[in-house]
Amino acid sequence: MTRQSSLLYLDGVSVSFDGFKALNELSLVIAPGEMRAIIGPNGAGKTTMMDVITGKTKPDSGEVYFNGVVDLTGEDEASIAELGIGRKFQKPTVFESHTVWDNLELALKAPRGPFSTLFHIISGGEKTRIEELLALIRLSDKRNELAANLSHGQKQWLEIGMLLAQDPKLLLVDEPAAGMTDAETMETAELLKDIARTHSVVVVEHDMHFIRALGVKVTCLAEGSVLAEGSLDHVSANERVVEVYLGR
Amino acid sequence: MMTSFLFRTLDARAGIFIGLMLAAIILVPALNLLVPEGSTFHVPTYAVTLMGKYLTYALLALSVDLVWGYCGILSLGHGAFFALGGYAMGMYLMRQIGTRGVYGDPILPDFMVFLNWKELPWYWYGFDMFPFAALIVLLAPGILAFVFGWFAFRSRVTGVYLSIITQALTYALLLAFFRNDMGFGGNNGLTDFKDILGFDIQAGTTRAGLFAASGLALVVCFLICRAVTRSKLGKVLVAVRDAESRTRFLGYRVEHYKLFVWTLSAMMAGIAGALYVPQVGIINPGEFAPANSIEVVIWVAVGGRGTLVGAVLGAILVNFSKTWFTAALPEIWLFALGGLFVVVTLFLPKGLLGLMDKGWSALRRRPAKDTAAHGAEPQPAE
Amino acid sequence: MSFLKSFLLLLCLLTGFSGAVIAQEDLESLRPLVNALAEGKFKETEQQVADLAATGNPAVAPLLEALGNGDLQFRKSDKAVFITRSAGKGYQLIDPLTHEVAGEASRSEVTKIKVNNGLRRSIRAALGSLTLMAKDPDVRKTAAAAIFKAKDPEAIESLDTAIAKESDDDVRLVMEQARAAAVLNSDGGDADRLEAIDVLASMGNRDALSLLTGFAASAEGEQKAAADKAITRINKSLALWGNAQNIWYGVSLGSVLLLAAIGLAITFGVMGVINMAHGEMVMIGAYVTFMVQEMIRSSAPWLFDYSLLIALPLAFVISGGIGMAIERGVIRWLYGRPLETLLATWGISLMLQQAVRSIFGPTNQEVGNPSWMSGAFELGQLTITYNRMWIIVFALLVFAGLMLVLKKTPFGLFTRAVTQNRRMAASMGIRTPWIDALTFGLGSGIAGIAGVALSQIDNVSPNLGQGYIIDSFMVVVFGGVGNLWGTLVGAMTLGVVNKFLEPYAGAVLGKILVLVFIILFIQKRPRGLFALKGRAVEA
Repeated sequence: MTRQSSLLYLDGVSVSFDGFKALNELSLVIAPGEMRAIIGPNGAGKTTMMDVITGKTKPDSGEVYFNGVVDLTGEDEASIAELGIGRKFQKPTVFESHTVWDNLELALKAPRGPFSTLFHIISGGEKTRIEELLALIRLSDKRNELAANLSHGQKQWLEIGMLLAQDPKLLLVDEPAAGMTDAETMETAELLKDIARTHSVVVVEHDMHFIRALGVKVTCLAEGSVLAEGSLDHVSANERVVEVYLGR
Repeated sequence: MMTSFLFRTLDARAGIFIGLMLAAIILVPALNLLVPEGSTFHVPTYAVTLMGKYLTYALLALSVDLVWGYCGILSLGHGAFFALGGYAMGMYLMRQIGTRGVYGDPILPDFMVFLNWKELPWYWYGFDMFPFAALIVLLAPGILAFVFGWFAFRSRVTGVYLSIITQALTYALLLAFFRNDMGFGGNNGLTDFKDILGFDIQAGTTRAGLFAASGLALVVCFLICRAVTRSKLGKVLVAVRDAESRTRFLGYRVEHYKLFVWTLSAMMAGIAGALYVPQVGIINPGEFAPANSIEVVIWVAVGGRGTLVGAVLGAILVNFSKTWFTAALPEIWLFALGGLFVVVTLFLPKGLLGLMDKGWSALRRRPAKDTAAHGAEPQPAE
Repeated sequence: MSFLKSFLLLLCLLTGFSGAVIAQEDLESLRPLVNALAEGKFKETEQQVADLAATGNPAVAPLLEALGNGDLQFRKSDKAVFITRSAGKGYQLIDPLTHEVAGEASRSEVTKIKVNNGLRRSIRAALGSLTLMAKDPDVRKTAAAAIFKAKDPEAIESLDTAIAKESDDDVRLVMEQARAAAVLNSDGGDADRLEAIDVLASMGNRDALSLLTGFAASAEGEQKAAADKAITRINKSLALWGNAQNIWYGVSLGSVLLLAAIGLAITFGVMGVINMAHGEMVMIGAYVTFMVQEMIRSSAPWLFDYSLLIALPLAFVISGGIGMAIERGVIRWLYGRPLETLLATWGISLMLQQAVRSIFGPTNQEVGNPSWMSGAFELGQLTITYNRMWIIVFALLVFAGLMLVLKKTPFGLFTRAVTQNRRMAASMGIRTPWIDALTFGLGSGIAGIAGVALSQIDNVSPNLGQGYIIDSFMVVVFGGVGNLWGTLVGAMTLGVVNKFLEPYAGAVLGKILVLVFIILFIQKRPRGLFALKGRAVEA
């Protein structure tokens, strides 16, 4: 696929910290509307890759393009988020001293400048949208609860809800099933599949059941570069993938 | 539009606070001016001035609470903005002295004559006009805060680092204002004021007026802070306080928010300083001392940060105790103040208001989660 | 004449020791020459002075000095010559050679040996050549240096003889410089003067510079050109030395900053605890020194030179103990909340200050320098005071010691383990609370011994610590938190930069500029000079 027709385009991206190569000539292309699962052992560079895409870390070399034309290496976190890339963290990070409602209201797509927010008065449309999201993430009855009082799984869902509220073109979801029960994991997979119908999604996950439930193209990273790409069966049949996972 | 913006978020506590303040603004001057001196209800002028001073401190505390309590920026340098506002006012008051100074020079303040200066430095121009001085009261702290904040927030200096460089900022200004050739009176600062807006600065009526002005400024700034913190912007600020990086990934340009609230807060501190100077009759570089700025933080912590009312309460309580201690037991005061720092951080992380809320809800046997209705409750910033 | 007096005084002191070796008969052989002074006019006296000087005997020097001052008189009755000192209405008579008191005389019994200006000049020259020939090289050197200052053309001749005979290179150099100074002051020829200018140019100090500047003002032609060239050359070398001096002052200030900051580098840098009472630990160390010295003064004055050595371990233990008490009592409840720690420790610092003020009073306390820390020596054009030098040495020793403790001892290993991964360390069986307390105690103890050193150069008052706290934080932040080498480099850099700014901007403005510089620097590199780069952590 060419850069122009891609949604996200990484080519030859390298990042090193004090000599340690976190990313090594990583290349990855996500098509518009695609859902992609990324797997890889610890230290494979999954989180660093997310950091590079969202502007938290600047790559030492390589190209990162969004929508085929926007060079992400020149943008900061806020403007990348405004371009339409949303991120869910590995550890659920919600605003604990805000209510569930306020968390969603803050995430809702709206002008982000200080003066727009200062004089902002919530509109009917926004209220409806928040209600919809609350229903989707099953937190309608917790709307006035402080986010701090939610359970781990509920926080994960709230964060996904916040991601949706941003209405991004591309969602980066880092280990959404971590710390969830099996039932919750499956529900989360369904929710993500639902979301993938209208958005492009990149999911990083360890849980193979979860990946299988998603049933999408899988990329396996190891030591900062792509090891294998294809269906889950194809990837897990790859000898080198087995090697890095079992550490032979 | 503006009034609805200011008043739309009043709750019971804020209502009580504003009611009390307005009562004080009317009652204290009335009891001072209208009740004869012998009466038990008479408030002596020195007490009016003292309370006026507390109110300016309260305003300073309010401004610190705005950045610390809501945005997690622990400023150890707000005294610098307070002092800059004070100096701007002091310069106006100096120019009002006219020929009544010791040397009787119509233009030059005494210390300049003493230093053998021939001309008024350019930055003293215009201070003979009150509106100009009032503008500088806002602009000097505002611009300094803006420039400083622009550098600091853009390069993401946060937490303890930011606290330390704010302290260095006020320390640098302290050193600078001690210099005679800066043209701000050096060591002695600006003093011997005669009148303000044509009123004798020593007169009881002027004192009462200054008290009322301080009270009014406090109420107005309180309403502004209230409106800001209850707006969506206020929610973003709390979000920044609790999870700065997350807020960035939501697309908020955190540095702009910080810069906005930081500059606003500095300007409020400047107003506090400007009201402080005519009441105490002097402004000198000592106001820049880092220790003063840290003391303000403890006022806020005592009252309860992130509550606005708590900052005012804390400032008045601590300063009242200071006045009492330094008169009765001067040796003990620093022990008491030091102890306060330790006790409040260890045992009262939410301050007195937090304690009151706790007692209140225990009394009414209501679960703690109802406090959620108040919106942003103070949480440890880390 | 004061220079002459002072060098003669020195001479007397020196000869006081070496003179004892000179045999009595040597002195007695001089007696006739001395007594001859009682006879004759100025012309003869001049000859006699020359004769005396020609003996090369240093015992003659005080006698000639007395003659020049008009203190040499002879007894009318026997024409015996004495140095006289006013005593009551008359004089005390002192033997001119043995310096023993030889009785008294009324004013009418003695007559002054008359001197005029011409004679005084000869006496001076004679004295010069006499001392230039002395056996002791130090005496010769002092004499030459005195001539350099006097720029006496009359001395050229005696200098020439002395230079020819001189065996000590150092002394000869000083003599040649003295000769050059004298030559410039005389009306010598071109070649001679150019050579003199050369000698002075290579001397390269301020004395030579002022001499040459004075000369160049009145010189002409080739001589002026040569002098001007020499002046530029000296100015250049002086500027170099000036830089060296600035670096020295800077390193000295840097070592003070290092001492103050190094304890902080542990508590803040390694543990991440902001300790605003750190300055007070330094202050307490200084007060420990004061108490130790007080006790020594009252009970064992002979120990005074060791007072600092006694104070060091005491200060370490006391400050360290207080530090541990603070950690156990307050800070451990606030781990992970740096801003609260900052406020609580600020409160503690207020209390400690007030406690010291209540016990010792608000005024400065007198802390003395032991003898080995007072005085100074010269290195080229540098003046180096012993107390500054020892503080630099001490700061580096403390730094090295701390490095050793942290890198080579089990305690250091545990500390690093705990700071890197507390839970992991705990599960390995390390008692993390104890390590916290000990590490904090170590940082505070080092602040205490810094206080011992700082008591030598700063006022010991309850506010001592306050003056260092902001600077120390600046050093740690500038150097990079968690990196002791960064603290070292940071302290030295800030010290040197400060001292280089001072001459241009003044002390206060220099300090402000440094603060502004650091504020700007932190913008560029928020984690300091030697920041540890790491994998980006989660929100």
